[in-house]
Amino acid sequence: MAPTTVHRPSKSKLSRENGSLRPPRNVRGVARYYFLYEHLSGALNDGTIHAGGALPSEPDLATRYKLSRTTVRRALARLEEEGRIVRHQGRGTYARQSYKPPALHLNLQDFFKELPALASRTASSVLRFEIGPTPPALRELQPQLAPHALIVQRLHRFRGTPFALSTAYVPERIGERVPREAFDQSSLLTVLDQLGRRTTKTEYTTTAVAADVVAAKRLNVQLGAPLLRNRAVLFSAGGVQAVVDSVCRPDRFNIRAALERSPLRNSRSQWRLKRS
Amino acid sequence: MTRGTNAGGVTRYLRVYTVLSQALAQGDIGAGEALPSEPSLVHQYGVSRTTVRRALERLAAERSIVKRKGSGTFARNKIVRAASTRQTAAILDDPRNLATNTTVRVLEFKNTPAPEFLQREWPEFGPTVLTIRKVRYVDRKPVVLVTNYVPEEVGRQLTQRRLGNDTCLGALDKLGFHGASAEQEAGAVTADPFAARHLGIRVGAPVLNLKSLARDSRDRILRYANYLYRPDRYEIHTVVERDRPHRGHYTQSL
Repeated sequence: MAPTTVHRPSKSKLSRENGSLRPPRNVRGVARYYFLYEHLSGALNDGTIHAGGALPSEPDLATRYKLSRTTVRRALARLEEEGRIVRHQGRGTYARQSYKPPALHLNLQDFFKELPALASRTASSVLRFEIGPTPPALRELQPQLAPHALIVQRLHRFRGTPFALSTAYVPERIGERVPREAFDQSSLLTVLDQLGRRTTKTEYTTTAVAADVVAAKRLNVQLGAPLLRNRAVLFSAGGVQAVVDSVCRPDRFNIRAALERSPLRNSRSQWRLKRS
Repeated sequence: MTRGTNAGGVTRYLRVYTVLSQALAQGDIGAGEALPSEPSLVHQYGVSRTTVRRALERLAAERSIVKRKGSGTFARNKIVRAASTRQTAAILDDPRNLATNTTVRVLEFKNTPAPEFLQREWPEFGPTVLTIRKVRYVDRKPVVLVTNYVPEEVGRQLTQRRLGNDTCLGALDKLGFHGASAEQEAGAVTADPFAARHLGIRVGAPVLNLKSLARDSRDRILRYANYLYRPDRYEIHTVVERDRPHRGHYTQSL
């Protein structure tokens, strides 16, 4: 196959699939322009349309996807609003910048060093600090948790912009010894360390959720926008000592891991975190 | 949500539906528990009564909630979401299970020009890559849509038959290309129409996105993979030990 550098996305380059993408006509609850928006957005994100590259013209898009000019314009208007394309009158539409990885990460292989470092690089404000009932769904997963916990909800900011909303559940007997100010600048890990309750192990779970009303408002995203959801279960020698749930804006924060092949042939998982 | 806009491209009713349906599945609203009243949902979400009713109607049609005249709306079934997510994840994470307990549908297996971002980030890939795109199912339910890019040199002996049910790295391992290190990045994205169709979810639904670059012991790139997981069926589970870092583990099978 001949090497190619594509400056103008052709029909086949734009499609993720063999043949062309046909926006489904009638999907309940989804605006038609949204399919084109998503499609172009994906092409801009993965570099199929590279920075500075031209997008197909409006009439081209309308014909190709069998959409009205108005629908095409709505999709382009939204990309323009998001600062991802530039439209020059008479000259066409161009990709502004390609995908930029978020500014903040947590490297899981260095979790115990990076979490405190992240807390000192960023700012947080305590939204909630009170003893309350542990959510039943959480107790079902972690039966070791007491029925009541100190609940600490914080909004985390980096350079003034919110990137994560976290809720920590600390069993009452440990939580009642923690002053509110302790959370101004430190991670829960550090706070517990200072209480002499050293965390020896963390179970970290990552998935995606749709932003609910609270998360959407605090993180300044649309209701239903995709968020990265992390749950850290902190263990001391005596068992579970805290659970921290957080939802994060994926454009500002993500989770990384450096892995190496496990030398143990029969281990359940062939890969493990790289030793630092 | 601001009243009067559906700038998300997804209508208001569908977003209210998504968020309520997630709260029910996660147990934020427990089995048998009452949902907030219609007026209070109207207030909370900043939408019209009609929009709230449409969302509730859809949940009722799916039998997630039950409306009782005069007394309100209640969560119906008990969905232990996390447990089943963990079961699915455990099957997917055990390499010995992949061959027997999962099925794969290959959507694409061919040499293609390397996407622009690959050439830009890792010029070592060269102009042509073997692109393998497939969906993996557990109990016949789609869990992950993965796109692999393998440098032409590395993928030369790989055939669709040799790949079988294996992971791309697993198949390469058998051909003598042994993975030694990998860098991974987890994020969240919305399902585009292609992903939505193959994962059986709605367009715009949240999806767990994992990007992974694997190299051999001489630092040669073996493959780049982009995984899109259904978040209700999979989560990435990592254990980190503080004093014995070598004991920690990462469960995903690559």
